[in-house]
Amino acid sequence: MTALVRLRLAAFLRTGRALAPLLAGLLALGVLYGGGRAQPGEAYGVSAVVLFPVLAWQTKILLDVEPDVQRRLALVLAGAAREWAAGLLAALVAGLGTTVVALVFPWLVGGVTSQVGPDGRSVAAGVALGVWAHLLALPAAVALGALASRAVTGSAGYGVAVLALGAVGSLVLGLSSSVAPWLAPPVLPVARATAAGPSAATVAVLTGWAVAWSATLLAGYAWRRRVRV
Amino acid sequence: MRWEGVWLRYHRRGPWVLREADLRLGAGEAAVVLGRNGVGKSTLLQLAAGVLRPARGRVVDRPRHVGWVPERFPADQPFTVGRYLAGMARVAGLGGAEADRAVLRWTERLGLTRFHGVRLPELSKGTAQKVGLAQALLRRPGLLILDEPWEGLDATARELVPTLIDEVLAAGGSVLVSDHRGETARLPGAARWTVADGTVTAQAPADASPEAFVVVELAVPVARAAGTVARLRADGHHVLRVRGTPPTPPGAATSAVDASEAAGRAPR
Repeated sequence: MTALVRLRLAAFLRTGRALAPLLAGLLALGVLYGGGRAQPGEAYGVSAVVLFPVLAWQTKILLDVEPDVQRRLALVLAGAAREWAAGLLAALVAGLGTTVVALVFPWLVGGVTSQVGPDGRSVAAGVALGVWAHLLALPAAVALGALASRAVTGSAGYGVAVLALGAVGSLVLGLSSSVAPWLAPPVLPVARATAAGPSAATVAVLTGWAVAWSATLLAGYAWRRRVRV
Repeated sequence: MRWEGVWLRYHRRGPWVLREADLRLGAGEAAVVLGRNGVGKSTLLQLAAGVLRPARGRVVDRPRHVGWVPERFPADQPFTVGRYLAGMARVAGLGGAEADRAVLRWTERLGLTRFHGVRLPELSKGTAQKVGLAQALLRRPGLLILDEPWEGLDATARELVPTLIDEVLAAGGSVLVSDHRGETARLPGAARWTVADGTVTAQAPADASPEAFVVVELAVPVARAAGTVARLRADGHHVLRVRGTPPTPPGAATSAVDASEAAGRAPR
């Protein structure tokens, strides 16, 4: 399976399609951190929110680079389950790369401060919260991007619609006044928690929520891929 | 491999492309899929490969290793021939050294050696088709599926296809080939599956019995005709007739011998 992961990552990088989402991500981060220095925990929470649609888009691009027939050839050689898993894993690896860029970026441009803030939280604790926020957003974004991929939607138009509705819906339903917050991945609740300083119980609930949401979408992906190859 | 009441359509309310197909293909057997354009030949092959799933019914006992050569090789990929085939060998589960050996063997056999460092989008259609053939053969397939394999290939490679099929059959594999140009006349031992209006009619190989004969036409230089006839007779073949100069090969005075290939048996 690692062979297929490598092949797909290589195709993603060599065709230059990796550039567009990376630039979009950097642009969003530039706007985010352009306003001055912030506490790491708070800033990283917002960074995970703006990165969520970028990571989903990046996943869709990565999965769509491969021609349909090549995807089927890989499926015949590796087996269906391995072919699906390899695509998701490649997207996860690429997403981790973007996440690392997002975590390092504010330190390079002076977007975060290393001084202890008024709430008395240490910089290390803030960074740890930021890593947690990004790691929760990544699988949810990969799952959404996978559901928007051409292998599932069959046409470019539907794919973009799924991606846009999913990303916008996740943000709108995640607002604190939302009527159905559980329908969305907890990217905005996580951002609010990192800003306020979450309790252990909050961290556990939000983690469980993100895992359950991602697992549900991935199950939907696997179910659709059983019929559509 | 068996097909049990297989139905397929592409959309929930779309027309049925295949209706209740019951077929079987044993080890060491080949079948040729025939039918007009767009009748569902490729669909049938993709069901066999496991690329499509039946809407109803099932395909069972599919060999573990399947090699599928699609009708058009997807050449729009940012790899060289060598890198692509090495990657596909690893995807097929071959180890590093094993994968390298398989790539070397098949690039040589299919005449792809000088294209090793060429990027896939730069290949001609026929050369790309050979890469498609190579990726299916890197790991010896228990089921080889060829979708119009002769399309775009040069004469040398066209001659090679029946040999490759024979090798898979001899190793106990099965082969499924689609063809709309009559090239499969070269596979006299294969069953005929005819697709029409969503139904598949299977017809056993016309000449499956060991008693069956085919006519092999030979061209030999005139001077050696008598000796050849004598040798063929000594080998147990039944020579039907010797006729005058055929058009080929140019420049050489030859004579044609029709020998009935009897696999060492006495003639009918």
